[in-house]
Amino acid sequence: MTENWSDDAVEYVQAIADTKLILSHRYTEWMLSGPVLEDDIAGASAAQDEIGHVRQLFEKLSNHGRALSWLQGDRPPEKFANAACLDDEFDSWVEFVTVADLTERAAWYLIDSIVHEDFTGLGERIGQDEYFHLEHLDGSLERHADENTEEVEAALEAAVPGVLAFIGPATLDADSDPLVQSGFTDRSAVDVREGFKAQYESIFEDTDVDISVADWDVPDSDEWDSKRRRVGEGHISSELVDALTGVKNAEFARA
Amino acid sequence: MSKSSKTEIDEMGFGPFDIGPDGTESELEQAVWANLDEIPDPHIPLSLVEMAMIYDVDVDRDGVAQVDVSFPCMGCPAYEFIHDDIRGCLRTMDGITDVEIDVVWDPVWTKDMLDDEAREKLRESGIAL
Repeated sequence: MTENWSDDAVEYVQAIADTKLILSHRYTEWMLSGPVLEDDIAGASAAQDEIGHVRQLFEKLSNHGRALSWLQGDRPPEKFANAACLDDEFDSWVEFVTVADLTERAAWYLIDSIVHEDFTGLGERIGQDEYFHLEHLDGSLERHADENTEEVEAALEAAVPGVLAFIGPATLDADSDPLVQSGFTDRSAVDVREGFKAQYESIFEDTDVDISVADWDVPDSDEWDSKRRRVGEGHISSELVDALTGVKNAEFARA
Repeated sequence: MSKSSKTEIDEMGFGPFDIGPDGTESELEQAVWANLDEIPDPHIPLSLVEMAMIYDVDVDRDGVAQVDVSFPCMGCPAYEFIHDDIRGCLRTMDGITDVEIDVVWDPVWTKDMLDDEAREKLRESGIAL
């Protein structure tokens, strides 16, 4: 640990860590249900990588006032600051691939924006994992864009608002984003949003998917919760918290 | 055979990376390096030192050993296991009163850190680089 982080920086890293924590769990829900074995193996590997990232991010947060036990799950569902699009289980493989791609990319862009020295090496190492995650997911997404166009569009429409709230509202430019102003990141929410949208315009360029089905202007900055980086009071289920903390398997663990 | 003699430790090299012993170690720190070199990587037939996972060792006047360790895989399933191995290995040493482990990521671990001997061992074990 070096110098203290601002409160905004702590909440920013908390949201990234919680998003990766829930994303890793969503991977495990699907890692035996992918269409082909390759998808299952990739999902298991990605889940392991993501939980490894979470472990290091929690370690950083524990140096900045957050108790490790609280971070690891000893907290109510409404205290988790994950991207809202991960709150509920997915109904289909296509929806999972679409949301995983959006969420992985958003989380990676937010980490890649951090220039604080506490992340020297750590960000680069996470990026090495994310490169392969996104290579795999982007390939799957492009394929589904051709084969399951309407399903991909429906998933985009449902998930994009939550992902954009995770990145931050379009009013946070370089002059107003407190993380840029404090020197914790080198890109504002506006910059990240622009790069993020451009990537999906490129991915779907030669497909029939129309990304304009999603609202790319949200969230309204007046409604945005800067602490949980979302709009509204939504949260993961208490059953998911039980699963994350091992409570769900307590009887098995004692056997 | 792992690198456990002083000569072998002196010869430890990690290429252009600023990790590993640099020749300024005290006798106790050299002994710590030698003991760490006895801890096997749980997945690969090399020691943690041969795997270039131990970046630095420092023993202060009170006998507290500070070990900087990195991991090839951030989601390493043996993460805690390796922590326990390091603590268990060093706590029994004369002159060591406590062990503190820092997980570090700068520089990021790369297989380029493996020396020729380590690479040969991997080849002999059928592991391609």
